[in-house]
Amino acid sequence: MITLKNIEKVYQTKSIETVALQNVNLTVPQGEFLSIMGPSGCGKSTLLNIMGLLDVPSSGTVEIGGKLITSYKDKELAHLRNEKIGFVFQSYHLIQDLSVLDNVELPLLYRPHVSAADRRKRAQVALEKVGLSSRTGHYPSQLSGGQRQRVAIARALIGMPEIILADEPTGNLDSVMGEEIMQILLDLNRQEFTTIVMVTHDEQMAQKTERLVRFFDGQQVSDAKLYDFQKA
Amino acid sequence: MWNRKKSNFLLITEIFFSFLVLFGVMSLVIYNYLNYTKPLGYDYENVWHISLRPNSDSTAQNRLVQEQLLQRIRGFQQVEAASYSNSNVPFAFSQMGMSLSYGNAKDVQTNAFDAQDDLKDVLRLQVREGRWFGPQDDASTHKPVVINGMLKQKLFGEEDALGKLIPVDDSTHYKVVGVMDYYRAYSEYDADAPAYFSRINLQENNNHLWGSLLLRVKPGTGVAFEEKMMKELSGIAKDWTMEVATLETMRQSKVRLTLVPMIALGLVCGFLIFNVALGLFGVLWYNINKRTSEIGLRRAMGATAGQIYKQFLGEILVVTTFGLLLGCFFAGQFPLLGVFELSPEVYVTAILIAVALIYILVISCALYPSRQAAAIHPATALHEE
Ligand SMILES: Nc1ncnc2c1ncn2[C@@H]1O[C@H](COP(=O)(O)OP(=O)(O)O)[C@@H](O)[C@H]1O
Ligand SMILES: [Mg+2]
Repeated sequence: MITLKNIEKVYQTKSIETVALQNVNLTVPQGEFLSIMGPSGCGKSTLLNIMGLLDVPSSGTVEIGGKLITSYKDKELAHLRNEKIGFVFQSYHLIQDLSVLDNVELPLLYRPHVSAADRRKRAQVALEKVGLSSRTGHYPSQLSGGQRQRVAIARALIGMPEIILADEPTGNLDSVMGEEIMQILLDLNRQEFTTIVMVTHDEQMAQKTERLVRFFDGQQVSDAKLYDFQKA
Repeated sequence: MWNRKKSNFLLITEIFFSFLVLFGVMSLVIYNYLNYTKPLGYDYENVWHISLRPNSDSTAQNRLVQEQLLQRIRGFQQVEAASYSNSNVPFAFSQMGMSLSYGNAKDVQTNAFDAQDDLKDVLRLQVREGRWFGPQDDASTHKPVVINGMLKQKLFGEEDALGKLIPVDDSTHYKVVGVMDYYRAYSEYDADAPAYFSRINLQENNNHLWGSLLLRVKPGTGVAFEEKMMKELSGIAKDWTMEVATLETMRQSKVRLTLVPMIALGLVCGFLIFNVALGLFGVLWYNINKRTSEIGLRRAMGATAGQIYKQFLGEILVVTTFGLLLGCFFAGQFPLLGVFELSPEVYVTAILIAVALIYILVISCALYPSRQAAAIHPATALHEE
């Protein structure tokens, strides 16, 4: 569960002050698949960064799994990100110099007491879940966009996080590959009850999720319940 | 990190060459330093050197003047001892060599010196075994010699040297009467090389005139006495050319001869290292900027700022270690193959110092960029338009 209360985010650059988020109150229950839509620059990525503890709000409070984030000490935040949150980005953010397997293992590298053999095994399992178990030795440059994003999803889920934050995960993909990615996320949400917050520009994708929140100019403008996967 | 081949290759090459340069310079510095710390084998303080050159061909007359000069010099109350010598006195630019053989030791290149009995007091030479020259040598059949430790080692090894006869030509032998530890005449930075003294006997009927005279004066004797003495000597040797200098001033010009090129080399080397450091810093800086998104990603995956810092520092240390291993392999050939006949001690110390300096250099160049890498804000690093 994620709870945001009275979130405000102001970017201060030289003379200009950009209000990226204003008066955001949002609760994402455990296991929900939420999509966020809104025009470019309305603050969606900023919101995800704050949920993912990559950025600090200018004011307001963040709760992750019922725990109020009060201390923003680097070590604690890093630990929480590692334990509880998986990230998926529009441009995949795979490390070019690492093989698919090594890329997927990355989050476990920052988790204490995981053996190399264990990392390897879990990376293989994660790649199986996204249907890429045959590509483990490849490098990102040898993969298609859809395959790269599947590697990124495997990397996001290897640490069994409670929450996956996906910022336009299908933004760089054609509709067929986008569908595949969407299906993987839907399965993940339904089978593992992983909370997913997905930013998207694609109305059709958004309509497949449980709930759709729209943003405009840093503010939440609508909030619609679409389905309840748990009941269905 | 293994796949960033090109940039790593450049770094490894850069470190490899910097190491070799440092190794070379360090070998030289250490070689000179180790020589410098060895005893000279004599005391040059308060010793003056007079170079002598007669301008007439009258041998009989010149030999007489030679005798008279020595008598007069010994007569001065300020002079403690005086001895003729060949012109290869301490810190001189002229050298004299002989090739000696004994048993299995063939053609040992040896510095050859000539000394009167009084030279022992002039230079305060220390004889370790046997004795220095004395009147008892006047009657000896073989020419007496006093050798230094290095020559003893080269000719006789562990055997006793005293009384040994060293063949010089078909009819002549040198007879070893004494062994001294060191005699490094030419420079404080010279290696310990084989050397021997043979005895000058002015009474012997040969026509040799000695080019140098060494004298020890009482401490505190200065220019006033020097002028007085030279005036009197000119009176005795009217048409001779004579020049006086203290061994101390001669020593200083020898020091300059060694140190000036060393300092120049040091400056060139320093400049080179400075450039390497700049280059290294630039490459690291560039790498980190190129890898901001990777840094952001690792932070998102749970890396702390400290872990990012350690990763970047660790990577450059691994690359450095590779460059150094390669360098050590090449540098290691010097002691193994005995190039330049320097002792392995010199090379090994030079390797160790060069390794330490390169690590210090790399770490100081990497600290700041790595800290910057760790300070990159994850949200900014991942920002995509
Ligand atoms: N690091 C930053 N510094 C300054 N302004 C920023 C920064 N990140 C985002 N912004 C600004 O904040 C607003 C919201 O950005 P963002 O959250 O990326 O929007 P979206 O993801 O919805 O396109 C934009 O006006 C953007 O220019
Ligand atoms: Mg965005």
